[in-house]
Amino acid sequence: MTYEFTKEDLDRIESIKKEYPEVKATTLQVLWVAQDRFGHVDADVQRLVAATLELPEAHVHGVASFYTQYYKQKMGKHVLDVCTCLSCQLCGGYDILNHLEKKLGIKAGETTKDGMFSLQQVECLGACGYAPMLQVTNGEFVNHLTEEKVDHLLDKLRNGEDPEHEMMEMPLRKQKENP
Amino acid sequence: MTMSEVFIDGKRYEFEGQPQLLQFILDLGLEVPFFCYHPSMTAPANCRQCMVKVGSPVKDRETGEYELDDEGNRVIRWFPKLQTSCNTVIADGMVVQTQESDELVQRAQKDTLEFILANHPLDCPICDQAGECPLQIQTYKYGPEGSRFEVKKVHKPKHVQLGPRVTLDAERCINCTRCVRFTDEISKSHQLTIVERGDKNYPVTAPGRSFDDPYSLNTVDICPVGALTSTDFRFKARVWEMNQTPSIDITNGKGCNIDLWTRDNLVLRITPRFHPEVNDYWMPDAGREAYQLFNENRVSHPAQKLESEQVSASWNHALETLAEQLEQTDRKDVLFIGSPHASVEENFALMQLANLTGAKTPVFTPHVEEGSGDGFLLSDDQAPNAEGCRLLGLEEVSPKQMQTKVSEARLIVALNDNLFGRGVLDATHAKNAFWVVFASNHTETTQMADLLIPITTAAEHAASYVNVDSRIQRTFPAKETKYSNRRLSMEMSEGRLDRFGTSFDNWVTEDHKIDCVPFWDFATQAGERLGLNLHLIDGRQIMDQIATMNPAFEGVSYVTMDEQGGIVLAKESMAKSK
Ligand code: SF4
Ligand code: FES
Repeated sequence: MTYEFTKEDLDRIESIKKEYPEVKATTLQVLWVAQDRFGHVDADVQRLVAATLELPEAHVHGVASFYTQYYKQKMGKHVLDVCTCLSCQLCGGYDILNHLEKKLGIKAGETTKDGMFSLQQVECLGACGYAPMLQVTNGEFVNHLTEEKVDHLLDKLRNGEDPEHEMMEMPLRKQKENP
Repeated sequence: MTMSEVFIDGKRYEFEGQPQLLQFILDLGLEVPFFCYHPSMTAPANCRQCMVKVGSPVKDRETGEYELDDEGNRVIRWFPKLQTSCNTVIADGMVVQTQESDELVQRAQKDTLEFILANHPLDCPICDQAGECPLQIQTYKYGPEGSRFEVKKVHKPKHVQLGPRVTLDAERCINCTRCVRFTDEISKSHQLTIVERGDKNYPVTAPGRSFDDPYSLNTVDICPVGALTSTDFRFKARVWEMNQTPSIDITNGKGCNIDLWTRDNLVLRITPRFHPEVNDYWMPDAGREAYQLFNENRVSHPAQKLESEQVSASWNHALETLAEQLEQTDRKDVLFIGSPHASVEENFALMQLANLTGAKTPVFTPHVEEGSGDGFLLSDDQAPNAEGCRLLGLEEVSPKQMQTKVSEARLIVALNDNLFGRGVLDATHAKNAFWVVFASNHTETTQMADLLIPITTAAEHAASYVNVDSRIQRTFPAKETKYSNRRLSMEMSEGRLDRFGTSFDNWVTEDHKIDCVPFWDFATQAGERLGLNLHLIDGRQIMDQIATMNPAFEGVSYVTMDEQGGIVLAKESMAKSK
């Protein structure tokens, strides 16, 4: 499949280029521009990025493959990254994952037929204090998960609403404030 | 000004400029193990194998004098951590301890190897690199006896066809990035990258792209493990069964220095040999395919055309036929054709034969394909010795002129050059003459021959070639003919199998010795038969003759060439010589 940047994307890329001393350094940012536009950076998109920046295709491929946040294939509209690393695992991360698998009718690593959800099992996202948790499409963290909370999230996302932002307290600060 | 000094394992060395520590140590003939460093590329220091302990002497701020301890020794402030020697620049007074004198360094090198080997498959028994593998050698010398990693190894892609000539086994890769840096810094094709991260790393091309870099096989040479292997050479031979002979690439005009790897008188692979002024550590992939030229499709035993079919003829018959033809044919109607694909010595022998029989100076047509050069190690010139022919004083003619000359001649004596195959001549030009063709391989040209005489290739004789930059360099015989003997020839080297192999061993036969002779041998015999004063013994003696007769080659001999890595000949002197 061939992809093309819009005029608006190209303007954005030009202004990104101005921020860096050399083009090579803009690879990460421009991959984001591409992922915002196309929803993923598969081989063809990587090629487009390389051609746009006049960088070697291999270099762009290397960068894209390094970061899991770049999707190297077409994904669902919402990507649910469920943490099953140590803390989440102990607090029931796998239960959440299994629940989602059952609910969506797919396995981790797959995408629902309607293209709505992709489910991934990931390692630590740095939110051990609020385990178990998941992340929605490289964005919002949803914490202290329960099956009900997950169902609620799915409904919200299906309705086109954004997951609500949860303000998490730092445990230490709480202690200090209410001694 | 006093020289700067550095102390390595307690010994004092002097240095100038800002040498890198690892290279300095290697240049001294000492050793520190390393993988990712390569003298011709940048040093990213990512393998962490070259760790050493480094410290600098403490100076009194006020006096600028070195601070001394109670025993009068300089006080050394050690760097807080071990340093990678490959990217450490030496400073005056620096004190270095390698694995030779420091236990911590030993321990660090050992542990690094344990990590590097954590996911390495350790499949040396079936790996092509075994025997010439830095990872194998250094593990043997500096590595741990066992491993504390008892978990399952990470699996990665195996036998990936990266390109037409290179195969990857990602599990063996230690991610030194030498191959990636090669395509970035040397060949500049930028075709490789490291993908994924952590223990899943490996090098690969962009999706859907082939590693078709014309220099791709150099990555196989510099890969410090068996991750990158030559698709063609894979599984053909163990390194220690082969014999290695220095030679020159004859597939283009650049004259890359190479090694021919032989087993049982077959050339099995060709690798570059370091020459700082010609090819550094590299050679083009095309040059490696010349091994086929040495092994396959060879002209073996003379042949004569009888009623449009070539039939085998004896050497005596061949000699007699050539002599008779030369005697019978009017001098004016004889055409000697030299060859930019043949060595200086062979062309000289041809010139001598022509001169002494009273024929005109041999002609030759260069073999240039415009646009095939790349300014690096591929030249437009497809032949290894056009410059040599010029310096010898052969007459350079265009294809057109060659066609005229050939059409007018009655007897043609042609040296190893596929004039018909490369578009200089076609059958219409060849009708009138009797063709005596000296050739190493069967080609369109040998098919035209009325008398076909097999001669040796660059892999079978010691002979010189003058490259496009006027550098004369020479080959050594790597492969025996039916008439040469490795043990008796002073120029030939012997591998283990050459020396100890018997017909009861695998890989030892008589099958691959070609029935051919060096051109000068046959020329000398023809000279004897014709009563000419022609004495050409071998390349070494011929070069001495050339040096005395032709000012362009003054001072050139095998001894000086060997000592100096070839000699650059002055182009001007050619004009002065007749
Ligand atoms: S394939 Fe070889 S040269 Fe390339 S990174 Fe791996 S070990 Fe280094
Ligand atoms: S050689 Fe120094 S880190 Fe690899």
